[in-house]
Amino acid sequence: MENQTLVKEICPTTTQRWVANGAILVDVREKDEVAQLAYDVPNILHIPLTQFEERFTEIPKDKEVVMVCKSGGRSLRAAGFLVNHGYDNVVNMKHGLIRWAQKGFPTKGDTSSILQNAATSSCCNTSSSENKKSCCIDSPKNESSCC
Amino acid sequence: MKTIKVLGPGCPKCKTTFHNVEEVVKQLGIEAEIIKIEDIEEMMKYNILTTPVLMIDDVIKVKGRIAQTDEIKGFLKQ
Repeated sequence: MENQTLVKEICPTTTQRWVANGAILVDVREKDEVAQLAYDVPNILHIPLTQFEERFTEIPKDKEVVMVCKSGGRSLRAAGFLVNHGYDNVVNMKHGLIRWAQKGFPTKGDTSSILQNAATSSCCNTSSSENKKSCCIDSPKNESSCC
Repeated sequence: MKTIKVLGPGCPKCKTTFHNVEEVVKQLGIEAEIIKIEDIEEMMKYNILTTPVLMIDDVIKVKGRIAQTDEIKGFLKQ
């Protein structure tokens, strides 16, 4: 999502695979955002960015961790923070809940507002049928160039 | 000379903080280097979570909100 080398980034489709393999999602959005629309995955922690410095130790160091937020910006900063605090198994999910919902991945709540916003802000600007097609599935080694 | 850094991704709050810093430096007539840091990698080096962040001489003074002119004056007079 942004040009940096500190944190590895993966796309939502790859995140699905990580989750299936037991990775923990850490959602750093604020409480009201989560109440509106949440990721629906088995292993998830909610640690809002505003509480992150006090609570980051709740995140296990011995598990694979995927940081998530709405669009991938806040979670990237949180992932960088964890890397700087000795977490080795942390990655950031690019494009956040917006892309996750666009792809039809599981959520709890109302996706309409986030998808409406995404229609005007997405870099891909694809139709819903195209959204189902993952750039990562087509090219698993091409994670860095996922749209 | 003071070194003042405003860190943030370029959001409206970051721009307001930067503008406030410029205004205070002008008002006080002090010598200061004002640096805007928008690069995410650079921000992560400072362990920045919430933005904007105001740093004076590499000490974080305000984070996660706009730094108001009065408080910036206070920091610079210290």
